[in-house]
Amino acid sequence: MRIIVVGDGKVGHALAEELSKEHHDVTIIDNNSEVLKRSEDLLDVLCVQGNGANAKTLLDAEADKADIIIAATASDETNMLCCLIAKRLGAKYSIARIRDPEYNESLTLLKAELGIDMTINPERAAALEINKMLRFPFSGNIESFAKGHVEMVEFRVQESDHIVGHPLHSLSLHCPTLPRVLYAAVERNGVVTIPNGSFVIQPGDRVYVAADMVTITSYFRHLGRNAHRVKSALLLGGSRISFYLARMLASTGVSVKLVELSEKKARLLDESLPGVDVILGDGTDQELLEQEGIRDTDAFVALMDRDEENLITGLFAVHQQVNKVIVKSNHITYADVIASMGLDNIVSPRSVTVDNILRYVRARVNSHGTTVEKLYRLVGGKAEALEFIAKAGDPYIGIPLKDLTSRPGTLVAVIVRKGKVIVPFGNDHIEGGDSVVIISSESGISDLNEVIRK
Amino acid sequence: MNKKLILRVLSTILLVESAAMALALLVSVYYQDAGIVPLIQSIIVLLAVGAPLYFFSRGYEHNFRAKEGFLVVALSWLTLAGFGALPFVLSGMIPNYVDAFFEAVSGFTTTGATVLTVFEGQPKGIMFWRSFTHWIGGMGVLVLTLALLPHMSGRNSHLVRAESPGPTLSKLVPKMGDSAKILYLIYTVMTVVELIALMAAGMNLYDAAIHAFGTAGTGGFSNYGASIAAFDSVAVEVIITIFMILFGVNFVLYYKMFTGGWKDIFKNEELRWYLSIIVCVIILITLMILPQYGNVGTALRYSSFQVASIISTTGYVTADFNVWPIAARMLILVVMFMGSCAGSTAGGMKICRIGMLTKQGVREVRHAFQPRKVQVIRFEGKAVEEGILHQVCVFAFVYVALMLVGGFLVSLEGLYDVETNLTAALTCISNVGPGLGKVGAVENFAGYGPFAKLVLSCLMLAGRLEIFPILAVFHPSIWRRG
Repeated sequence: MRIIVVGDGKVGHALAEELSKEHHDVTIIDNNSEVLKRSEDLLDVLCVQGNGANAKTLLDAEADKADIIIAATASDETNMLCCLIAKRLGAKYSIARIRDPEYNESLTLLKAELGIDMTINPERAAALEINKMLRFPFSGNIESFAKGHVEMVEFRVQESDHIVGHPLHSLSLHCPTLPRVLYAAVERNGVVTIPNGSFVIQPGDRVYVAADMVTITSYFRHLGRNAHRVKSALLLGGSRISFYLARMLASTGVSVKLVELSEKKARLLDESLPGVDVILGDGTDQELLEQEGIRDTDAFVALMDRDEENLITGLFAVHQQVNKVIVKSNHITYADVIASMGLDNIVSPRSVTVDNILRYVRARVNSHGTTVEKLYRLVGGKAEALEFIAKAGDPYIGIPLKDLTSRPGTLVAVIVRKGKVIVPFGNDHIEGGDSVVIISSESGISDLNEVIRK
Repeated sequence: MNKKLILRVLSTILLVESAAMALALLVSVYYQDAGIVPLIQSIIVLLAVGAPLYFFSRGYEHNFRAKEGFLVVALSWLTLAGFGALPFVLSGMIPNYVDAFFEAVSGFTTTGATVLTVFEGQPKGIMFWRSFTHWIGGMGVLVLTLALLPHMSGRNSHLVRAESPGPTLSKLVPKMGDSAKILYLIYTVMTVVELIALMAAGMNLYDAAIHAFGTAGTGGFSNYGASIAAFDSVAVEVIITIFMILFGVNFVLYYKMFTGGWKDIFKNEELRWYLSIIVCVIILITLMILPQYGNVGTALRYSSFQVASIISTTGYVTADFNVWPIAARMLILVVMFMGSCAGSTAGGMKICRIGMLTKQGVREVRHAFQPRKVQVIRFEGKAVEEGILHQVCVFAFVYVALMLVGGFLVSLEGLYDVETNLTAALTCISNVGPGLGKVGAVENFAGYGPFAKLVLSCLMLAGRLEIFPILAVFHPSIWRRG
C-alpha cells in the first residue's frame, strides 16, 4: 500500500518505521529538512520537504495515488486541512490526529465534512487504555471494534463459574440474571472454536465474550470477577488524560480523587467533572498522598506533565502496596529498568497513538480488495473479526437470523445500527446500512453473502 | 564494527560477479576461443572465496552505520576490481597483475583508460568481460545487489548515496530496492535500444554489444585499437553520440518521463545547463577545427562526437584531438572537468555542482560590494541549503587537490611531461579515459610503471565513488573499534 505520513515527529517517525517494516511504500512529508534527513538515513522511505497542507507538496508526494494519508503534525488544523486536500486529490483513506477537546465535541460533523476516516486523540486514547487496564485487571486481551462501540474481552474460565457445564443456548435458563453477551470464540488446548448453541464451556477454556461496554462490565460482576475490580482511584495531575479518565471511571461507578496543583485548573476540573473529588495540592507531596489515603486506594494513576515525577510517585505507590499502579511516561526506552523495580504498567500516549493508527491501517490492508470494511486478527491470528456494511438490496435483509443459514465456523457477532450495539439472537435481523461484525475461524471471507444465506 | 555484515555484502558481490562472468564464458564458448579456460578458472576462484564467506556470514546484524557503509562501498569496489582482473591475467592478455588490476578498475569505474596495445585477435570472451565491467560499474554494483536481494534493503541509504553520483540522493519510489529495480530496468532498456540501433547501422551483434556496454556505462572500452574510428560510419557515430549524451542525463528524468512528467524534464535546470554547454562547446570547437578539416560537415562530425564523448566521460575516439588547435584542446580539458548530470552513469564533477559553484561565485562577488544583501542560491527552482553548498565547495577543492596530488605522484616515475601527467590524473578522477599528450586520444596508459598505475587506479575509484568513501578508507579512525 502507498501510505503518506505528514509530520515527522516522534509519532510520525514511529509510524513510518513500523509501516515500512511491513513492506508498505511510505512517504514522509515535513517542513523541517533536518528531521527528514534523519528519517531518510534510518528508514527505507521517501521524504518530501514542504507543508503537508499544501496541495503542491501533497502532489509531489503523489497523494493522488495514495491509499492512506496519516496527518500527525503538531497542529490539529493542519492535520484536518491536510486530510481534506489529500482526499480531494484522490487519496483513498485519511487519518488525522486531533487532540483539542473543542473539536472533539463536533467530531462526527468534522469527519463527515472533511472526509476524515479516522481521528485519533492521543490523550483520550491513553485514557481509554488505562480505563481498560483498570476495568479488566484479570484479562490479558481486550479488543474493541465497530468504532469502539463493541468490546471483546478474553478470560480464563474457572471451575466455580456459572457458565461451566451448560450448553450455551440454555444458559439463560440456568442463570437468568446473567447479562446476555456473545460467546465469540473459545480456545481449548490451542484449538479455536466458534461456539454454537450446543457448545459446553469447560474449566480452563479461554473464552472471548463480546458486548457493549456496560453489558460487559455487569457480566463480569455477575461472574464474580469483580474481586479485583477497582472501586476507588487516585489520579495525580489534571492533564487532559486525567480529565478523560476521571469521566470514564466516574461513569462506571468508581470513586475518583484527582490531585491538581494549579488552583485555576482544579476549579475548572471540579466544574466539569461532577462526582469527582478534585484536590488542590502537589501530587509529588508524600504527606498529601498519605493524607488522601494512598494506602486504601485500589488504583493509583500518575498523569502529571513530567514523566520523571510520574515514575517516582509511581514507585512510591508500589512501595505503599497499592494494588494497581499505572504511570504515564512517553520515555519508554527505559521501560525494562523501571519494570524491574515493580512498576510494570506504563502508558505512553505516543505509543498508544501509534498502535491505534497501526491497527486501523492493518485492518484496511487486510480488507484490501474485498467488500470487508475492516478485518482484525484475533486470538493470535487464529480467528478473524470482519466488519461489513449491509447493503439494502441483499437477500438476507429483514429476515430473522434464525431463518438464515450461516456458514459453518462463522458467527454474526454484533450489529451496530445508528451507533446502537445489538448483540443479535435468533429473532434479530439485519437492516440495510447496519455494520455487521462477523467472527470466523477461517480466513478468506470476502463478502457478507458468503456468510449468511436465505 | 559489524564484520559479518561487511563480509556478507562482499561475498554477495563476489557471487554476483561470478554470475556476470558466466555470461562472458557463454560468449567464449560460443566463439570457441582461448577465453574458456581462464574464465572457468576465475569463476571457480570467485565461488571458492565467495560461497564459504557467504555461508560464514550467516546471522549478521542488519544494523548499518555510516562508518560501515563507507567501508563496505570502498571494499566492495576493490574486491570487484581485484577479482575482476583475474581473467585478464589468466588468459595472458595482460600478464602483469598490476596492469590487469588497472584495466579492471578502469572498466568498473567506467573510465575506459587502457593498457592494451594489441586489440585485434584477443579472445572474444575476455574482451566481452572487459566491456561488460563498464555496464556493471555504470549503474553501480551495490545498487544491483539491492535490486536482487530484498533483505539488503532498510538502512542502506549510506551505501547507495556513496555509489550514486551527485550531491544529493534522489529516490524514485519509497523503497530503495524498488528504486534500484526501476533504475536497472531503464538502464537495460536503453542499452538494448542502442544495441538494436547499432546493429541496424551495420555492426554485428558482438561489436554492437561491446559498444553498447561502453556507451551505457559511459566507459569507452572498444575492441578495436582505433576505437569508433575503426567503423568509419557516420550512422554509427551519430547513434553513439546521441546515446552518450542520453546516458549522461539524470535517470530520474527518464522515470518522470515514463510516469507522465514531460513538462518537468525541460524545466530541469541541470539538464538545461548540460545541453547548453554541449551545444556551445560543439559550436566553438567546430569553428576552431574548421581550417584543419576544410568543410563544416566533417568538422561538425568530429567535434560533436568528441565533445559528447568527453563530457559524458565515455572516452570513445573518432579523431585525434591531440592534433587540434590548442584552444580546442583547452576546451576538451574544461568539459573533462565538468562531466555530466548527477544521477547518471557518467563521472566528472557533475553539472549541478558546476552550476551551484558558478552561482556561489557570482554571489560572493556581489557580496563583496553589497554585503547586506541577502542572497539565497536557487537550483532546480528551490533554495539550496547552505550545508549542501558547503559540501559542494569542499568537494570541488578535494577534487582539484586530488588531481594535483595524483599528477605529482605519477610524475615521481620521471616519465613524460606535465601536460600528460596532469591530464592522466584528471582523466582518471573524472572517469573519462583519454587525456592529452602521451595519454591522448590514440595513445594508452601502458607506458606508466606499476606505482603510477596504482595511483591512477585509486583516482579512478575515488572519482567513481564521489571521493569520500575512498578517502575514508585512508583515515585511521575508520579502522578503529567502536
